Amino acid sequence: MADAASGSTERSVQVKLVLLGEAAVGKSSIVLRFVSNEFQPNKEPTIGAAFLTQKCRLEDRVLRYEIWDTAGQERFHSLAPMYYRNAQAAVVVYDVTKASSLEKAKTWVKELQRQANPNIVIALAGNKIDLVTPSASSSTPESEDEADDATATPGETGTSGEPESLRQVPRDEAEAYAQEAGLLFFETSAKTGEGVVEIFTEIAKKIPIDQILASTRGGQRPGAASGRAAQEGGVNLEENNAKGKDACNC
Amino acid sequence: MDFDVVVLGTGLSESVAAAALSKAGYKVAHVDTNQYYGGDEASLTVEELAEWADARASDDPSSDYLANQRARYTSITRSQTIPPQSRQYSVSLAPSIVPSIGPHIDSLIASGVSRYGQFKLLEKVAVYDRPGYVQSVPGSKEDVFKSKALSLLDKRRLMRFLMFAAGDFEGKKELEGKEQTPFVQYLQDVFSLKDQATSAIAYALAFCTSAEEPTLPAMQRIRQYLRSAGRYGASPFLVGHYGGLGETAQGFCRTSAVKGGTYILGRRVVSVESSPDDSTKDEKSTSTSHSYSVKLIDFDERLTAKVLVSSPDYVPTSLGGNTSTSKQSAYAVARCVAIIDKPLVFTPSEVPEDTPSTDTDGPTDGPEDEPSEKPEPPSYDVDTALLVFPPGCLQNGSTTTAVHALVTGEGSMSAPRGRYIVNISLSLSESTLSSSAEELLRPYLEAALSLTAPPSSSSVTSPATSLFSLFYIHHTPAAVSSAPPSSSSSVIVTPPSRPHLPTIADEATEHAEAMFWTAVKQLKAAGVQRTVPKEEAEEGDASVEKAGTEDTSPDIDSFWPPLDAVEDETSDEW
Ligand SMILES: Cc1cc2nc3c(=O)[nH]c(=O)nc-3n(C[C@H](O)[C@H](O)[C@H](O)COP(=O)(O)OP(=O)(O)OC[C@H]3O[C@@H](n4cnc5c(N)ncnc54)[C@H](O)[C@@H]3O)c2cc1C
Ligand SMILES: Nc1nc2c(ncn2[C@@H]2O[C@H](COP(=O)(O)OP(=O)(O)OP(=O)(O)O)[C@@H](O)[C@H]2O)c(=O)[nH]1
Ligand SMILES: [Mg+2]
Repeated sequence: MADAASGSTERSVQVKLVLLGEAAVGKSSIVLRFVSNEFQPNKEPTIGAAFLTQKCRLEDRVLRYEIWDTAGQERFHSLAPMYYRNAQAAVVVYDVTKASSLEKAKTWVKELQRQANPNIVIALAGNKIDLVTPSASSSTPESEDEADDATATPGETGTSGEPESLRQVPRDEAEAYAQEAGLLFFETSAKTGEGVVEIFTEIAKKIPIDQILASTRGGQRPGAASGRAAQEGGVNLEENNAKGKDACNC
Repeated sequence: MDFDVVVLGTGLSESVAAAALSKAGYKVAHVDTNQYYGGDEASLTVEELAEWADARASDDPSSDYLANQRARYTSITRSQTIPPQSRQYSVSLAPSIVPSIGPHIDSLIASGVSRYGQFKLLEKVAVYDRPGYVQSVPGSKEDVFKSKALSLLDKRRLMRFLMFAAGDFEGKKELEGKEQTPFVQYLQDVFSLKDQATSAIAYALAFCTSAEEPTLPAMQRIRQYLRSAGRYGASPFLVGHYGGLGETAQGFCRTSAVKGGTYILGRRVVSVESSPDDSTKDEKSTSTSHSYSVKLIDFDERLTAKVLVSSPDYVPTSLGGNTSTSKQSAYAVARCVAIIDKPLVFTPSEVPEDTPSTDTDGPTDGPEDEPSEKPEPPSYDVDTALLVFPPGCLQNGSTTTAVHALVTGEGSMSAPRGRYIVNISLSLSESTLSSSAEELLRPYLEAALSLTAPPSSSSVTSPATSLFSLFYIHHTPAAVSSAPPSSSSSVIVTPPSRPHLPTIADEATEHAEAMFWTAVKQLKAAGVQRTVPKEEAEEGDASVEKAGTEDTSPDIDSFWPPLDAVEDETSDEW
C-alpha cells in the first residue's frame, strides 16, 4: 500500500460489491460459497438479506466487502440504479451452459460502464463449470442436483458422461470479450467452489483503496484540499439514533 | 399472476407502502409505467428530465397516465441544449429537505432503508437581501447570540420566541385563541418581533409561503425543526444523495423486493378492472369481496390481487381515480430547475461590528486560491443550501408569496464537480395562475445567479451561466374523496402530499402508513393470509411458512416489524 507508514492500514476499507446477471445463473450461490463456503442445492430462496458483509485480508490490506445481491428486481428489467450506484466492484455472472446469459451479462457490463462509478472494478464470471468439466477432486454424492432443468439429467450419472457438450459459451470467446471490455475474467463453480474465492481476491487487488479512503464511504476524513464538497456533512442515519429529542439545541 | 396486493406507481408513498406490505408478509406486485422509479418524486438525469418534460408538454398523450400527468404539469418550457455529463446529474422532481426527527426518518431507520441511501446535512439557510447579499438565518440560540445584525433587545425577544416555540406551547396563554392568526402578525403582536426577524422566522424557519398562514401549524413546524437540530449536526435538515426522494423511493422498493416483492417497470397499464369475487364464498363475509385485475402492455399474464394501492394517475375514474378533467387542484407550485456552473456565495449583508477571526461556525473555506485567514465578511460558497425569498423582496417578483430555492451540488451527489442544481419553487395563488412558470420564476433565477458573483471578491467576476433550465407548474391533485376509505373494497388511492420542501417527505410517509393500515384491513376482510416473517413466527425454524388456515397469522401490530438480525450479517474474515 502506498503509505503504509501512516499506520492506519489496519483500518478496513469498505467496498460495495454488486452482483448482476440473468436469473438462476448462480449469483446467490456464488455469494453463499464465498461467505459461508457452502453450497446448498436444495436451499430455499434466501429472502431477507439486505446485504452481507465479508472481510477479505490481502497482504497488508483488509477489505470489508458489502455484498449486494439482486432481489429479483432484474427479472423484469426493473433493477433500480440505486442498486449499483456507489459500487466499487461488480461481479457479472453468466452460466457457461447457457449462451443467452452471456449476452445478458454484456448488457449489464455496458450499463455499469455507462451509469456506475467510473473506477468500478468489474469481474465477469462464467459459473457452473462443474457441469462441463470432469471433476477430479470433488465427486459430489448428492445426485439430485438442484440446478436448472437443462442440467438436471447429467447429475444422475455423475460427471463422467460427455460434459463438454453442455457448454454453450466457449472459454476463449468469453475471455476475449472480457479482455476487450477491460474486465477480470473467471470461470467458476459455486458448487465445487472452484474460482470463487479468486474472484474476490483478484478484485481486492485491483480496488483503488486509496481512492476509496478518499471518498465518502471510506469514513476517513481525507485532506480538505481535494473536493471538499464530496466529503463534508455526510450523515449516517443510524448514528445518533438514540439521541433523538434530547439533542435539541435550544 | 396472483398477488395479495398490486401497487401502481413507485412514488414515495407507494414505495414505502409496498415495502411495509412485503415486510408484513404479503405478496406484492409493484408496477410503474415509467422506466424509472419514483413517479412524481423521481430523480432524473438531465436527459431523462428533458424527455419527461417533453412528454408532458406534447399534445398527444399516448396513455391515460400521461393524460393525467399533462393536466398536472403545465406551462412547461425548457432550454434546448442538454449539458454534457447529463448522467451525472440527479434532478429531483420533488425537491425536499428532510427534518432529522419525524415520520420519514423514523421509517427510514425502522425499515432498514437508511442503510441503502446516504444523506448530507443542509449546510446553510439564508434569506435573499439584495443582489449579491443574503441575511443569515438564526436557527438556534447560538446563532442568535452570534448575530451581529440584531440589537440586544431583538436578541432577547427572539430568544424568548425560540424558547416558546421549542416547548409545549399548545394551550399556553401566548397562543390560546390565536391559533389561526396569520403567523407574521402573531409574531409582531405577541413577541414584538421586527420585520427582519419575523420574515426570517416565518419564511426561513417555519417555511411559510405567505404571511397569511395560520399560526398553529407554523409553530408546530418550527418546533419539529428546532428539535431536529443537533441530531445529526447543527442543521435540522438532511438532503438525500442522488436527488433525494427518488433515490429513497428506490431504497424502499429494494426492501420490498428483498422481501419477495415483484417489480415491473416501463410497462403501460392497459386496464385496471374490478370484479366481484366468486372464489371466496365465505359464509361470514357478507360484504362483497372484490378482486382487481391489471393488464400491462407486452405482458401476457394479468396481475390479480384482492387489494389495489395506486397513485391517482393510474386509476380509472370509474374506480374512484383521478378526475383529470376537474381543473381545481389543491395546490399548485411553479417550479424552475436550473443547472449552473458556479456556486452560490452567501455573503451576509450585515456589517460585522467586530471582526472575530475565531468565528468558525460552519464551513468557512473560502475560495482556495485566496489566503483563507482574511477577516473579511464570512461568506460561504455553498454546495447544498437553501435560499429564501420573502414576499416582496424582488421588484418583479411576488409580493405575497415566499419563494424557496434549494441548491444541490457535488456534495449531495446530484451534480458533477463544479456544477449545481438550483430548484426554485413558488406556491401559487389564484392571482398568479395566469402567468407562465417562466415569467414568474425568471426574476428569482436571476437573483440567485447574482449571488454567484460575490461582491466581496476583489477581482470582477461574472455570474454563473445557466447551462440548462426548465420551468413548469406542478398541480397537486385534490384529495380523492369519492369513496370513503373505510369501504372494504375501494381502491386505496395515494392522498396528495403538499409539495413543500420540508414537509413532503414526512407527509408522504404518513400517507403510506395510512394506506398500509387500510390495505391490511382490506386484506384481512378478504381473508388473505400473510406469510409470517420468520422473526415473528414462534417456532424459530429458519424457513418462512405460509399459514395454511385462517387466523394463524398473528395480527400486525406495527408499521415496520423489527429488523431481522440476518439483514446485516457480518461474517468473520476467512
Ligand atoms: C449469501 C447470500 C447473499 C444474499 N445477499 C443478498 C443481497 O445482498 N441482497 C438481496 O436482495 N438478497 C440477497 N440474498 C437473497 C437472495 O439472493 C434473493 O433475494 C433471493 O434468492 C430471492 O431471489 P429469487 O426470488 O429470484 O430466488 P432465486 O435466488 O432466483 O431462486 C432461484 C433458485 O435458486 C435457488 N437458490 C436461491 N438461493 C440459493 C443459494 N444461495 N444457493 C443455492 N440455491 C439457491 C432457489 O432455491 C431456487 O431454486 C442473498 C442470499 C444469499 C444466500
Ligand atoms: N451445478 C451447478 N449449479 C449451480 C451453480 N451455481 C448455482 N447453481 C444452481 O443454479 C441455481 C440458481 O442459483 P442461484 O444462486 O439462485 O442463481 P441466481 O443468479 O442468484 O438467481 P436469481 O436470484 O434468480 O437471479 C440453483 O439451483 C443453484 O443450485 C454451479 O456452480 N454449479
Ligand atoms: Mg439469487
